[in-house]
Amino acid sequence: MKPRVAAVLAGLLLVGMPLTAPAEIQLGQLFNSIKQAFTPASQDDEIAIGRDAAATLLGASKPIDDPAVQDYVNKVGLWIALQSDRPDLPWHFAVVDSDDIDAFAAPGGFVFVTRGLLLHLHSEAELAGVLGHEISHVVLKHHLNALQKAARMDLASQAAKVGMQAKGYDSDMDAQLMDKVSNATRNLYSKGLDKDDELAADRMGVVLAARAGYDPYGLLAVLQTLEAVDPKSSSMQLLMATHPAPADRIAALSESMAAANFDRFGKQAEVQERFEGVVKGLIAAAKKAKAPAPATK
Amino acid sequence: MTRWLGLFTVMLVLGAVHAAAVSTAQTVVAGNLSSSPNTDASVVAAIPNGAAVTVIERQGGWYHVRTAAGQDGWLPMTSIRYNNSGSGPAAAPGTDWAGLFNSGRAGSDSTATTGVRGLNTGDIANATPDIKAVEGLDKSQAKPEQAKDYAAQIPLKSNDKIGYLPEVKP
Repeated sequence: MKPRVAAVLAGLLLVGMPLTAPAEIQLGQLFNSIKQAFTPASQDDEIAIGRDAAATLLGASKPIDDPAVQDYVNKVGLWIALQSDRPDLPWHFAVVDSDDIDAFAAPGGFVFVTRGLLLHLHSEAELAGVLGHEISHVVLKHHLNALQKAARMDLASQAAKVGMQAKGYDSDMDAQLMDKVSNATRNLYSKGLDKDDELAADRMGVVLAARAGYDPYGLLAVLQTLEAVDPKSSSMQLLMATHPAPADRIAALSESMAAANFDRFGKQAEVQERFEGVVKGLIAAAKKAKAPAPATK
Repeated sequence: MTRWLGLFTVMLVLGAVHAAAVSTAQTVVAGNLSSSPNTDASVVAAIPNGAAVTVIERQGGWYHVRTAAGQDGWLPMTSIRYNNSGSGPAAAPGTDWAGLFNSGRAGSDSTATTGVRGLNTGDIANATPDIKAVEGLDKSQAKPEQAKDYAAQIPLKSNDKIGYLPEVKP
């Protein structure tokens, strides 16, 4: 792990550079970072960046305390990831404690699904579609590339500034730099990826689900469920702010699936019982955690 | 006592309405109701755009539906749109998992146990990284053999011959 890459790209101050270092050392570090921002990240760098991005996401929403559910999504998720071109990443999956509807991926193999989304699903095939979509973001390095691009832009503007005021360069520069790049992570996940990245993840996600033996129409079914949820409701706010509208995704994905005759995989496994068992366990655990509540029913 | 019974009845009725509402849909194109979920199936009836249907089940890219006139048949899944509902279509009649949690909202920093935990763009934009939570993920991480064994229980059969999908502009 290269702490500087993780620190600069994902922007955590935890492994930051000393603020009082001499200006020439800071300049050296800055240009070293620029070089790194222009070089494709190694897998180790990617995982380090991903851990920091995942930490930011989990800072907003913690994993739920339900080992059975977490074990379940890890087994199902890894099975799907094993069908991808990057089966050897250290894949981690988690259900996070929010009732809003969304799912996230971070570089290096982190995939998070909110409890709210999980509770809107009806089968493991649907979950496979969601996980396949997120796994595809990781496989295609969508967030890694976007973070690196943001870092390049910030670093370039900082470098120009540094060049102009090389003599008057002060110790605030590193802190400003770190802050700016730090924002890249938070910006990316609150604004979302490019629309084309989302549609590409939909296309690859259904292929991974199909390769894993699931009915690949699960993702389309999920998108139809989301299409019926009021897009202005607070449970959809983050998803709608960061993704194309479900109707647009349905239109694009269904055309691609039809073009590849995916109807032939329509009878693959739906896996409803196992999924329902896990979700019922989640609900029972949540109810127990909420007790004692006034008995009004 | 009668007042509580009345309230109970209202809740039952509302619950029933909600359960019924969640699997209703409308056609978004005119087409044919098929006798089975494949393109070669015989036609049960022509169905216009905007027709109300009840969704009974899904098989692959097809929904088994019932029309308002009581006709049973199959429609390609993208030929319908679910009617707006707070929680989307239910898995099975009467199943409304999401509704169980919709008991009022709270921010993600809330410690309330009865509220719904939100996660919006502001929560992400203001997040403080939690490295410990990331480290905690390791304890649930699956090994490839565990994932394969779990898939074999269904059994799910992998097929690595399935190629990636083309991009088609709708």
